[in-house]
Amino acid sequence: MAAPSAPAGAGKQRAYLSCIRATITAAMCLENFGSQLVERHNKPEVETKQSKELLLNPLIVSRNKEKVLVEASINSLRISVAIKKSDDIEVVLAKRFMRFLTQRAENFVILRRKPVEGYDISFLVTNAHTERMYKHKLVDFIIQFMEDIDKEISDIRLTVNARARVVAQEYLKEFA
Amino acid sequence: MSISELEHLVGCITCHAWNGDKTKVAISPNNTQVNIYGKSGSSWALEHVLNEHDQVVTSIDWAPKTNRIVSSSQDRNAYVWTLQDGQWKPVLVILRINRAATHVRWSPNENKFAVATGAKCVSVCYFDKENDWWASKHIKKHRSTVTKVDWHPNNVLLATGSTDFKARVVGAWLKEDGKPPASVFGEKIAFGDAVLEMDAGGWVHAVKWSPSGNQVAYASHDSSISFANVSSLPPTIQKINLKGLPLRDLLFLSESSLVGVGDDCNPFLFSRDDNGTWTFVSEMDKKAEGGPAASESSSARKMFESKVNLGTESASDTKLTTQHQNSITSIAPVVVAGGVVSDFSTTGLDGNLIVWHTKALEAKFKNLKIK
Repeated sequence: MAAPSAPAGAGKQRAYLSCIRATITAAMCLENFGSQLVERHNKPEVETKQSKELLLNPLIVSRNKEKVLVEASINSLRISVAIKKSDDIEVVLAKRFMRFLTQRAENFVILRRKPVEGYDISFLVTNAHTERMYKHKLVDFIIQFMEDIDKEISDIRLTVNARARVVAQEYLKEFA
Repeated sequence: MSISELEHLVGCITCHAWNGDKTKVAISPNNTQVNIYGKSGSSWALEHVLNEHDQVVTSIDWAPKTNRIVSSSQDRNAYVWTLQDGQWKPVLVILRINRAATHVRWSPNENKFAVATGAKCVSVCYFDKENDWWASKHIKKHRSTVTKVDWHPNNVLLATGSTDFKARVVGAWLKEDGKPPASVFGEKIAFGDAVLEMDAGGWVHAVKWSPSGNQVAYASHDSSISFANVSSLPPTIQKINLKGLPLRDLLFLSESSLVGVGDDCNPFLFSRDDNGTWTFVSEMDKKAEGGPAASESSSARKMFESKVNLGTESASDTKLTTQHQNSITSIAPVVVAGGVVSDFSTTGLDGNLIVWHTKALEAKFKNLKIK
């Protein structure tokens, strides 16, 4: 149960995340599927998009400016996140933070190096991942990731503003 | 008597099949091999490794009477293995397909087998004595990959499920079968003729005939299971929508009981009442109804333990509460007495092989009745 002193926005944030969690859990039912078009190949169908019957309808869960696009197929799932950016500093910070993460995509395993058009970051989960890892922990990871990004970016923005203030103060002391 | 026995064989199991007297099990450990385990005492020992495929083995079936294994793989090949001098020898099957083979099943008389393929066709293979190889005939009615096949008890009809959102019943009579038996679909059904096409709300993941052949059940990706009564045409189809995730495989325990397994990692029991209506009865993998007070204190203890050990706030466990930790992909009967399956086995992507005993389940949970 939420503590009575929690801000009103926390409940809406929880509803948003639980909706995303349910969507991703349902979309993560993947199976090994050999390609229908090229013999002996096994490709993530959500990336090739060649056979329309193997793709599920894409779903967008959005709340104000932030949204999550979930595209699923028979053997792979793509989750793209657009982060809420309230001012110009956050636009720059989000871009730099995401670049930092995507350059290290191998360590994250399920991260996609290039985000889908119109979004800040994308994950690609294939049947190989769900066979090796627990599905519920993968979902936990993605939800946790989304929560952490928001917190990190607002923290960085606060520190940037604080530093700017300190620097400006020191510089202008000269002219006082 | 325990409800189930769990054996962790490998990291991930794609499919499994038992031999005739259920002393050996053949599994595919999600790679190019087929492993055969034999039960020695209370543990399983790896007896043979069958190495012939180039890509992951998608399906295995073991013919109980003739003791032959057929395996299919994504490398568009299938092999029939026979035991000679204690070694399993493969014989290549001329499938004539140019895409992956997804599923394979011996017919009830074991004189032929059907292979579901990604080439949008089903290959029915029979042994050609003149050329001493397995030849095939194609059933081409499908518009997308065929995911599953199941033989009708009369050895002539085949139920297929496909990713074009349809489950079909096709005729698969070959000259080698002799006189075709009459069925509700007609006296003589041409090979490859689709006598029935049923719509599903998503990709069809599993099809199964009931023991008498009067019903066919199919499960699709929209988390539903449909039962078609084909004892009279047109068939009456009843669809049940599940609350959870899709089912991947089905097994009829008797004419009125069916177990479905899937991405919820839990076997579900469905039962048919005297009017012929199917309903979902219960999930079979649940803890006995213990005291709620015990669980409260243990969850508080777990939270503090995880805070100390892992640095996390929540009490969530890594392990699922069900015995299978990942999707269950395959279910097979183990003990059949008088046409009723009393023990069955499940394997899943977590690498566990679990044998379930329905008598013990019925004794423990009062509402779980297998008719």
